[in-house]
Amino acid sequence: MEQQSDEEVELREDEEDEEEDSDKDDQDLDKMFGAWLGELDKLTQSLDDGRPMRQKAPLRQETNMANFSYRFSIYNINEALNQGDNVDLDALMADLCSIEQELGSDPKPGGGGGGTRSGQSDAKVRQKPPAGRSSRHHVRAPSGHHGKAALNSNYSLDDITAQLEKVCVCVCLCLSVSVCVCFAPKLNSNPVMRSIVHSSRSSISSASGVSVNSASSMDSLDSVLHSEGGAPQISEHSYLDTHTSLILRNIEGKPPHLLTQEEQAAKLKADNIRVALEKIKEAQVKKLVIRVHLSDESSKTMMVDERQTVRQVLDSLLDKSHCGFSSDWSLVETINELQMERIFEDHENLVENLLNWTRDSQNRLMFTERVEKYAVFKNPQNYLLGRKETCEMAERNKEALLEECFGGGSVSVPEMEGLLWLKEDGKKSWKKRYFLLRASGIYYVPKGKAKASRDLVCFLQLDHVNVYLGQDYKNKYKAPTDYCMVLKHPQIQKKSQYIKYLCCDDVRSLQQWINSIRIAKYGKQLYINFQEATRRSEAAYDWSSLSSSSIKSGSSSSSLPESQSNHSDSGVSEMTSSSHARSQSVVSSIFSDAWRRGTQGEVTHTTHTHTVCFMCLLSTVNDP
Amino acid sequence: MAAWDLSIILEDLGPDTPPITLSVSSDLHVGGVIIKLVEKTQMKRDWSDYALWWEQKQQWLLRTAWTLEKYGIHADARLLFIPQHKPLKLGLPSGMTLKVWASFSSPVFQAVMTICRILNIRHPEELSLLRPLEEKKKKKDKDKVGEIYDLTGVRPAKGTQPVSLYNDVPAHFADSAEMEAIYKMLSVTQTQPAPEIITKQYRPSSVVDKAHINGRWLDSSRCLRQQGVQENDLLWLRFKYYSFCDIEPKYDAVRLTQLYEQARWAILLEDIDCTEEEMMLFGALQYHIGKVSQSEPERMSTNAAMENLESALQSLEVKMEGGSSSASDMLDTMMAPELSDYLKIFRPKKLTLKGYKQYWFKFQDTSISYFKSKEESVGEPIQQINLKGGEVAPDVNVASQKFLIRLLIPSPEGMNEVYLRCENEQQYAHWMAGCLLASKGKSLADSSFQSEIQSIRSFLAVQKTNSGSSSHTLASDESMNTHSLVSPRYHKKYKPKQLTPRILEAYQNISQLSMTDAMMRFLQTWQALPDFGISYVVVRFKGSRKDEVLGIASNRLIRIDLGVGDVVKTWRYNNMKQWNVNWDIRQVAIEFEGNVNVAFSCVTADCKIVHEFIGGYIFMSTRSREKSGTLNEELFHKLTGGHEAL
Repeated sequence: MEQQSDEEVELREDEEDEEEDSDKDDQDLDKMFGAWLGELDKLTQSLDDGRPMRQKAPLRQETNMANFSYRFSIYNINEALNQGDNVDLDALMADLCSIEQELGSDPKPGGGGGGTRSGQSDAKVRQKPPAGRSSRHHVRAPSGHHGKAALNSNYSLDDITAQLEKVCVCVCLCLSVSVCVCFAPKLNSNPVMRSIVHSSRSSISSASGVSVNSASSMDSLDSVLHSEGGAPQISEHSYLDTHTSLILRNIEGKPPHLLTQEEQAAKLKADNIRVALEKIKEAQVKKLVIRVHLSDESSKTMMVDERQTVRQVLDSLLDKSHCGFSSDWSLVETINELQMERIFEDHENLVENLLNWTRDSQNRLMFTERVEKYAVFKNPQNYLLGRKETCEMAERNKEALLEECFGGGSVSVPEMEGLLWLKEDGKKSWKKRYFLLRASGIYYVPKGKAKASRDLVCFLQLDHVNVYLGQDYKNKYKAPTDYCMVLKHPQIQKKSQYIKYLCCDDVRSLQQWINSIRIAKYGKQLYINFQEATRRSEAAYDWSSLSSSSIKSGSSSSSLPESQSNHSDSGVSEMTSSSHARSQSVVSSIFSDAWRRGTQGEVTHTTHTHTVCFMCLLSTVNDP
Repeated sequence: MAAWDLSIILEDLGPDTPPITLSVSSDLHVGGVIIKLVEKTQMKRDWSDYALWWEQKQQWLLRTAWTLEKYGIHADARLLFIPQHKPLKLGLPSGMTLKVWASFSSPVFQAVMTICRILNIRHPEELSLLRPLEEKKKKKDKDKVGEIYDLTGVRPAKGTQPVSLYNDVPAHFADSAEMEAIYKMLSVTQTQPAPEIITKQYRPSSVVDKAHINGRWLDSSRCLRQQGVQENDLLWLRFKYYSFCDIEPKYDAVRLTQLYEQARWAILLEDIDCTEEEMMLFGALQYHIGKVSQSEPERMSTNAAMENLESALQSLEVKMEGGSSSASDMLDTMMAPELSDYLKIFRPKKLTLKGYKQYWFKFQDTSISYFKSKEESVGEPIQQINLKGGEVAPDVNVASQKFLIRLLIPSPEGMNEVYLRCENEQQYAHWMAGCLLASKGKSLADSSFQSEIQSIRSFLAVQKTNSGSSSHTLASDESMNTHSLVSPRYHKKYKPKQLTPRILEAYQNISQLSMTDAMMRFLQTWQALPDFGISYVVVRFKGSRKDEVLGIASNRLIRIDLGVGDVVKTWRYNNMKQWNVNWDIRQVAIEFEGNVNVAFSCVTADCKIVHEFIGGYIFMSTRSREKSGTLNEELFHKLTGGHEAL
């Protein structure tokens, strides 16, 4: 909520007029809608002339950063701007058009947008006048209602409706056009809110604007509902004003089971409230536009909604980019300033992670194939058995092993332990310590003690940190080897004593550590992610690429240069040679690939052609 | 065929009564002998549970169709005519002692199945009977004091279908209020033991000690009487195989509780090693479970989300019916309670000696902002701190009235350390609760806010009673000693008042769990310990001159060096081709894939026990795949029976 209040501040100037409107007369929704529609048109126009970002980006910079909880990368925006006409607005426009079409049926989309002041933010704003530049009408809105509360129930219905509409706070992101993006959820939510109000007043249950019959005292509006209970949708339309009924069209696709209300009223009521709560949440959904830059200078833009998981984003990327459906495709965050990177886990929320970036961040989001992402599950024997050497294992046994480790009620964390180099807080030197991984965190053996559990010293617990792969730390930090991992809180973006650097002797133990830490941190979720990813890649394969020779071929374009270079790489010799013979099978040889990948860390970033960079035009501008 | 005299002792008639002599011939079958015997006693009673026991051979004559000749019984045989079922004292993991009817004639495996059926514990194959440790004489008297709950009257319905529950109580317990009370005791955790009791309990101090305990398991393929168990003897019922199939709190009240108790004692008695951080978490969970089980013995699965909805719904309804009240009120009730007050803040920084400064603080969503004074709180805050994703730690000492909240707030530059100082308990509880919720990304509007405040206050109350131990007049449930939550090692290491803040720190993360969730969490944490589920046996490997330890886990065998305690080698059952026991030289030989052969003789336990462990775990791994719910007893016997099974 607080962010939204902040963001409201940002667009304050633009909002001036509308706010005054609403300030003076909350009831005059139509007026407000009109104003909003105008705003929308303006924005659409600005989109059409193809320079939306330039207009909007500076706006963001004005924000008071002290408490600005959402950050975005100015760097990235600038980069986007520098590309000028290369900026691919087409894809974006396509997205927006589809949304507009959705909205098209509604002549007054502002109806949703206009009431965009949430009751919650009302409360907030009252407490928090710093954001108060924008607080004028929020603050007064409720009192206005109080004043008229003595009116009949008919009035209070409207009152409530207006209130509820305000709950639908919307945050608009980036390109001003995304304003209209935000309407979609709101349109849905408003009628719902209305109907909730109806239903709770009259014990008529209704969701998604579908009215429900029940016996109880009714005011005039309710009786309309009542009399036409048999054809609920129509009745809603007939009694609601034009704009609402038009809005209702948008929600006609709602599941019909909501119509069956003769069941327990209580249960339905609860359902309705849940729907309402969900809708409220939905109305507050932030969306942001991210740009995809392929390294061949082509670019893609896509819209991400704040609820989307990395998996969902990956799926839509895979759909668009025709690069095969390997489960190895990953979104990788690289933090240039700290020379580290991390593969986002499929279940993570993308927006949440991106919001950790600072405004001037040079971080990148890459779309790339990473064999190490699911190497744990493709060759579990090399990770889960605590062995030092790699080996092959029959598929059947792999499954059994995975089932054993992840199938039960609790996940057994791989027994990882060994000497690692640690760079201590603020010091330049690296010290060797004996580390152990347990489900409860990473521990080390204090000097002069045996490695009995009770004597272990907790190095850190995994709740608040993520594990990153350090790059070229031999140069940067004089690390003993280049096989480094970093543990830090995701929000830390600059050098800090709170970042822990660990260095392994070889790439093998580095990968084992990183993956074991992931298992300790995410547990079963990781396995679920893998299963989901495999399921999808298989389904996509069956469906789309029957002509191609194997799944592998789907992703061969990108993996090929890699494996070629690996054949010449001396480091490969330690890999099992048999894996090459079996490389047609998707699942088998991945592990050795993972090692190769590891040894090729630097190469990846310099030469790989399939690294796709996401332009993250990420900002959180409030809905005007 | 020639008739000869067979004398049979009828124990019921008293020890001095002379044996009854029957005239039999060798082709008479056992059933015939029993009929003759019963006729001769001229006693009218139910003899159906009685059977003949052959003393010299330590064997029941249960096959009534077999002739005496087939059994090889001659006139010198010492036969007893005794009941097959007798009462047995049963020590449960929770420390409760029960008296139950147990079969002394069927294999222990089946006896345990019956007992588990009485107690409504699913998956009896995971449990077995263990001979208790010999207690020292002095303690014995004390132990006698412990009450024994008589369940000999309880007879569950026969059959294999699951026990039917009425009001969460099995039908066979629902007869009387007393029985129901006993069942409740079985399914609710016991109160925390006093620290002295923990200290006095036997604690295995080495792997060898732990190995000796495993020598006490009864042979599951032979009956109780064959193993020298007498009527009214005490045996422990314990989970033997650390592979718990499908724990479902809804059906497994007793199973879950007893498993939790076993895990808890394993932790408290350092049967399994853990780190200090883990111990604090275990302590916090125990405290929480103890508290919750006392306050709400009610249904476990109250869905928080549903509750949330319900209350929202109710407030909606109330408001709507009120009619005149405005909608904004209604919305307010769904929104965050306000929290603002004067607090003191301190930011530790290098080279600054600034102390705590007082400001007007205000909670907003997941952030706190502070202002110079209340009056200025309409303007820009001096600063706003977003707690989301941060760490919140208590630094509290009730005795010295120190109520600090330590915040570690992430920022791009690193973590910022901030201390908030509260004046009193009340203030602290509110702000701490708010901070905790905010760090998890929840606002004060979250339904758990009030309960969070409550749990913080109640924990502070513990510290209060601990520190003011001089005025210790209150009942003992409130003045719970934190020492009773951790193993004796920490009794020495920390004073209660040092321990409390540490447990409190762990507690804040789990304080909102329901009892069942907390128990499950305890079990999961226990199962995640590296040494979990390893049963030790001292063995001598073939070709080795020294004793070593064999660790038997649910998926692998571990060879452990006795001196250093290091793992020498691990073999997984998945790679196992076969295992054999040479019963004559009592040696276990195992063959793994890749021509790996291992052979060893057992030192601290019979090789039957090792054999049973291995076979048992293999059995456990087969069952999850079937999912049929029925117990494949035959397979279990095949895998664990050894030569008796043949």
